[in-house]
Amino acid sequence: MIGHDFLEETAHHNALLQVHPFTKLFLGIGSIILVLLTPNYIVPCFLAITLSIIIIVLAKINLKFYLKLLGIPLSFAMLSALVIIFLSEGVTEIWYVQLFPWLTLAATSESLNQGLHIFSRIFGGMCALFFISLTTPMTDLFGIMKKLKIPELFIDLSMIIYRYIFIFMEKASQIFLAQKMRLGYTRPGEAVRSYSMLFGSIFITSWDAGEDLINAMDGRCYNGKHAKITSYNPVEWRTLSAVMIYLFIITGMILWTSG
Amino acid sequence: MEPLIELKDLEYSYLYATPALSGISLCIRKGEKIALVGSNGAGKSTLLLTLNGTIRPDKGSIIFQGKPVSYDRTSLRKIRQKIGFVFQDPDVQIIAPTVWQDVAFGPVNLDYTDEQVRQSVTDALHNVGMEGFEKRPPYHLSGGEKKRVAIAGILAMDPEVLVLDEPTSMLDPAGSEDIMDLLDELNLQGKTIIISTHDVELAFTWADRIILMEKGKIIGSGTPEEAFSDKEMIRRARLKTPVLLELFYELKSRGLKTSETLPRTVLDIIRIIEHDHHGTIRLPGNGYGTIHVGDVDKMSGTDVSDILARTSHDSIGVMGSRAKIYARKWGFIPDISYAVIDKCILQAMNGRSSIILTTGRMVTRVFERVTIFNQANDRSIPVRSLTLDNTTDGVPPDAMWLYRTDHF
Repeated sequence: MIGHDFLEETAHHNALLQVHPFTKLFLGIGSIILVLLTPNYIVPCFLAITLSIIIIVLAKINLKFYLKLLGIPLSFAMLSALVIIFLSEGVTEIWYVQLFPWLTLAATSESLNQGLHIFSRIFGGMCALFFISLTTPMTDLFGIMKKLKIPELFIDLSMIIYRYIFIFMEKASQIFLAQKMRLGYTRPGEAVRSYSMLFGSIFITSWDAGEDLINAMDGRCYNGKHAKITSYNPVEWRTLSAVMIYLFIITGMILWTSG
Repeated sequence: MEPLIELKDLEYSYLYATPALSGISLCIRKGEKIALVGSNGAGKSTLLLTLNGTIRPDKGSIIFQGKPVSYDRTSLRKIRQKIGFVFQDPDVQIIAPTVWQDVAFGPVNLDYTDEQVRQSVTDALHNVGMEGFEKRPPYHLSGGEKKRVAIAGILAMDPEVLVLDEPTSMLDPAGSEDIMDLLDELNLQGKTIIISTHDVELAFTWADRIILMEKGKIIGSGTPEEAFSDKEMIRRARLKTPVLLELFYELKSRGLKTSETLPRTVLDIIRIIEHDHHGTIRLPGNGYGTIHVGDVDKMSGTDVSDILARTSHDSIGVMGSRAKIYARKWGFIPDISYAVIDKCILQAMNGRSSIILTTGRMVTRVFERVTIFNQANDRSIPVRSLTLDNTTDGVPPDAMWLYRTDHF
């Protein structure tokens, strides 16, 4: 099972951990924005491949783990791309199949282009997103959020949510195991009942945890403030300029391919 | 001595339940180590939660430093800074996503300046031996490490009283011993410590004073020896007699000549058997073993290896959380890591030498403890301070006063 905690765990052990989170965010978010501006599938594919190389070679993320991770969104993207290829309109038909007298599925070169474009955009975007989540732990992002002047309330809430996700996941997996051991998920009807019980007890747990949290914070003189780490290793200009050059090249490619 | 905290006739009941506290009166003095002992549901946690104002009693009053506790926001903040509460489950207490942020939570809310926050967090983490864990998220820590972080979060606010609800309930035996060792260390630094527990062995050896609770009432209080020797009370409180006391009573009933003082440690019982029963001191052929004491704050890893290589010893004891961290870092595996002084005295009485690695004030404590033992039992176990150059068998200057009355 690929859990979110496993993602965080990986992020805490990646080889680019010491790089300033700003540099990493700049590369990730910059790539996502550029992917949205691309006119065809060439640039997103280039982005996806180069970012994957960075993730595997520079951040030293396990290749198998990365491919497995990438497989989840890409299988969805593949299905959506297929639907687009067969359902959107075009002039030059390449291939068609008549399923029923009243339904013909046809792929045109325009729809094929569009489908490929959307698929490659998702591919590139996902790689950029995974680059951020695999190289930058959430804990580093909170400090950056503060520096970017995002409202404190929002950061505090996300910190508390982040802290409690792990506690609830742990609870949920314990309850799930306990139910499975007593054959809670053997029949579909049983599974529905077990799931509803699982969610019910998680709700009660979170309610209790909320009250405990208030007590714990009050016990430590809570006055509306949360400490944040805002000191990182200094931004390395060499790394940052490499990122900028990379993003410039992508921009150039976009301008060039859009003719 | 004037009481630090005074509870008078506290009454409290949860909704639709039998009274959780009734007629609780208690006086806590500065520097005490108190253990509240009772079965599950005896009201220990409820009583502890009234101390920092989390639970407001229905009746009765709490007086802290001569002033009654009031329940407005400002007074509550003040009292919670002075009386730090450590929850049983560290997952409840640890709020922030990283260790540093969590320990800094209290100081930030007390409006310390950035510099003060950094300083207090560094000091607190140093105190519990968790330096280097600053950026770690709490779910990466072991149970004992989480507990330490929780304690550090409270220490960072520099409280006068530490209240811990079941400090060892979720820890393995070695982890519990470490935490109790840490609490002893903090007590030596002048903190008053109150814990609740149902582990009688732990309470018996650790506490200065035991308070027995049953069904929301205090049914007895006194030194561990007093509290645990009343069999009727122990039975009522659904506890059991500590093994040492049981052994003592059994020996006594078989005609063993015993002194009036009850034993609290293995050392005590060995002393009773050897000294009081045999009448003579069984001295091993080569005389007493020596206890060497070294302050690791003043040494480096190579210094310690040098010393270990040239000082003859049978076992190494490491005392205090900082010394334990150093030992781990330098790759020494201690033979003794809890109740270190007692165990080293036992070894010395058996002709074996030991080295105690520790820090700061605890060096003096070793000298103090061994000297007192020597005087009380007419022994002459030698204690030496380990120094780097090996020429002086020095005694730390602050321990000198002990030697004026010494007789070896």
